[in-house]
Amino acid sequence: MSMLSLGLLFGVVTLFFMFSGAPIAFALGAVATLFMYLFMPASALNTVTQNVYEEMASITLLSIPLFILKGAAIGKSRAGQDLYAAMHVWMGRIPGGLGIANVFACALFAAMAGSSPATCSAIGSAGIPEMRKRGYSPGFAAGIIAAGGTLGILLPPSITMILYAVAAEQSLGRLFLAGIFPGVLLVTLFAVYAAMRYRKEYRLAEAEFKRSGAASALLTNETFSNREKFEMLPRVVPFVLLLIGVMVALYGGFATPSETAGLGALLALGLIAVIYGVWRPKDVAPILTSTLKESTMLMLIIGMSLLFSYVMSFLHISQSTAEWIVGMNLSKWILLAAVLLMVILLGFFLPPVSIILMTAPIILPPLKVAGFDLIWFGVLMTIVMETGLIHPPVGLNIFVIKNIAPDIPLGDIIWGVLPFVVLMLLAVVLICVFPGIATALPDAVMGVAGAKA
Amino acid sequence: MSHAIDTVPSVVGIDPFTPRLLQPLARALLRVNQVMVTLGMLALLVASVVLTSSVVSRYVMKASTDWQDEAAVFCLVGATFLCSAFVQSLRGHVGIEAIAGLLPDSVNRFRALFVDALSALFCAFFAWKSWTLFHEAWAEGHTTSSSWAPPLWIPYGLMAAGMTLLTLQIVVQLTARLNAITKGSPS
Repeated sequence: MSMLSLGLLFGVVTLFFMFSGAPIAFALGAVATLFMYLFMPASALNTVTQNVYEEMASITLLSIPLFILKGAAIGKSRAGQDLYAAMHVWMGRIPGGLGIANVFACALFAAMAGSSPATCSAIGSAGIPEMRKRGYSPGFAAGIIAAGGTLGILLPPSITMILYAVAAEQSLGRLFLAGIFPGVLLVTLFAVYAAMRYRKEYRLAEAEFKRSGAASALLTNETFSNREKFEMLPRVVPFVLLLIGVMVALYGGFATPSETAGLGALLALGLIAVIYGVWRPKDVAPILTSTLKESTMLMLIIGMSLLFSYVMSFLHISQSTAEWIVGMNLSKWILLAAVLLMVILLGFFLPPVSIILMTAPIILPPLKVAGFDLIWFGVLMTIVMETGLIHPPVGLNIFVIKNIAPDIPLGDIIWGVLPFVVLMLLAVVLICVFPGIATALPDAVMGVAGAKA
Repeated sequence: MSHAIDTVPSVVGIDPFTPRLLQPLARALLRVNQVMVTLGMLALLVASVVLTSSVVSRYVMKASTDWQDEAAVFCLVGATFLCSAFVQSLRGHVGIEAIAGLLPDSVNRFRALFVDALSALFCAFFAWKSWTLFHEAWAEGHTTSSSWAPPLWIPYGLMAAGMTLLTLQIVVQLTARLNAITKGSPS
């Protein structure tokens, strides 16, 4: 069988199994074993399980359940609401401050929890009702939270980045650092947009007031005393300290990323025990159960995706496709655009985890040949996959928000989210034009690329 | 407050369409899964403690940290495989449902059967190969290549046990779906 027909057959069978609706892990595993049986030496089948085990038994990958645990501990406690309330009180004075406070709260929470849906539900369950009460249009409120939540996979500790680091064989510490400035850039863009949109909605409300005398809640001013401001601090500061402590442990060279995950999980559980009194087995069990549900599902997908990539590379499908792409001699930027477009398309259907592991062996070699920095590309790819979290039809965050605020029509949510998708693509362009946004921080902290940490 | 993952309803009992013959198995799985989840919780906590102690012992006691990473890997691999049947019982292993929504009900039932049959076949194969791997590691005394060198039958055994439970769980769910279709009631 020729390479081309084998590759096509592989692609078609994969699509068929995936779109049958079978769990992604089993679909990928089944495709892999089927092709092993048909096209690989008989002995290959005997080592399937050993393969999966050896790929999975990496402490970097297995830090994922612990990062999820840390996120669940924070996400299932009242930390989200408190963080949100503090931001609200502190930023109440700025025009559009409430919207900006929501963006900031999402970013901070995302940095602690490392999960987009968790961020959306934690900040959104307090933030969306509050914004609507204060006259923000429902779509706008939903958009802020959906977009803010995506920061979870860009700011460390991002699970998506852990996988990228493993798949691309790049330093995880570097990649985490590279995500920080782009994260700040996105927060800034989101905040500026929130302020502008607020002014627009404010003017409309004002005009409506002059015309009909119906005052929107948007027009009332809200002020908080300094006392209120300082009363909020004791509940938020420990979590910010946790965030900083974990960063220092990681970058001060005290702990490996996986040790940081264990330490962070334990500290987060300790904090919610002390601050919110969540320590009884009965209270902690739901946190652990939801961690197990999410991490088991993810780890099986990861294990089977790795088996899938192994078969793809054993049969030379990934290499041939990569060579084919290199052979097209596309200009550097067209290649990049094509790859990012493909990631966007895959994002319509697949979670980021599978996109990375399935495509990395195909797309990374051509990008490397074209001279792109793979850390920098990791950041771009992450932002592009973030858009997949907020655009239909899969857009996980959209459905999380639909759960929190069932009365906002899906159409409103989608229209509210779209401007943020545009902002994210703008950030992608900015990072292409000024690569330093991503690479400056890791270069400054860990030395210029090439000297891998 | 709910995680996205929690939108899957928690099943308390067993599917009423489970064939009578398999009902004892279904009930047993329910209990076994509860035990596995408890073990999984402990494994998560132990892994966190072990990794934290690794940092502490390196900087405070200046001790070498050779076994912690591997111990944590064993815990977390174990938790993943042992809990996979529990996650399956909630149908928590996500798939691409985009097509399912477009198909008519009658076709969709057969799609669901196909999906379960495919999953069951794959998992059964995987469980079988895990047991042979386990047996080999046990009989030949394989260990990991580190200086601590724990026996490899431990993680292989956990993987084999977990995949076996998972296969049984899917078979129970498959037969319940099949039963629901032949009895002519919507599943």
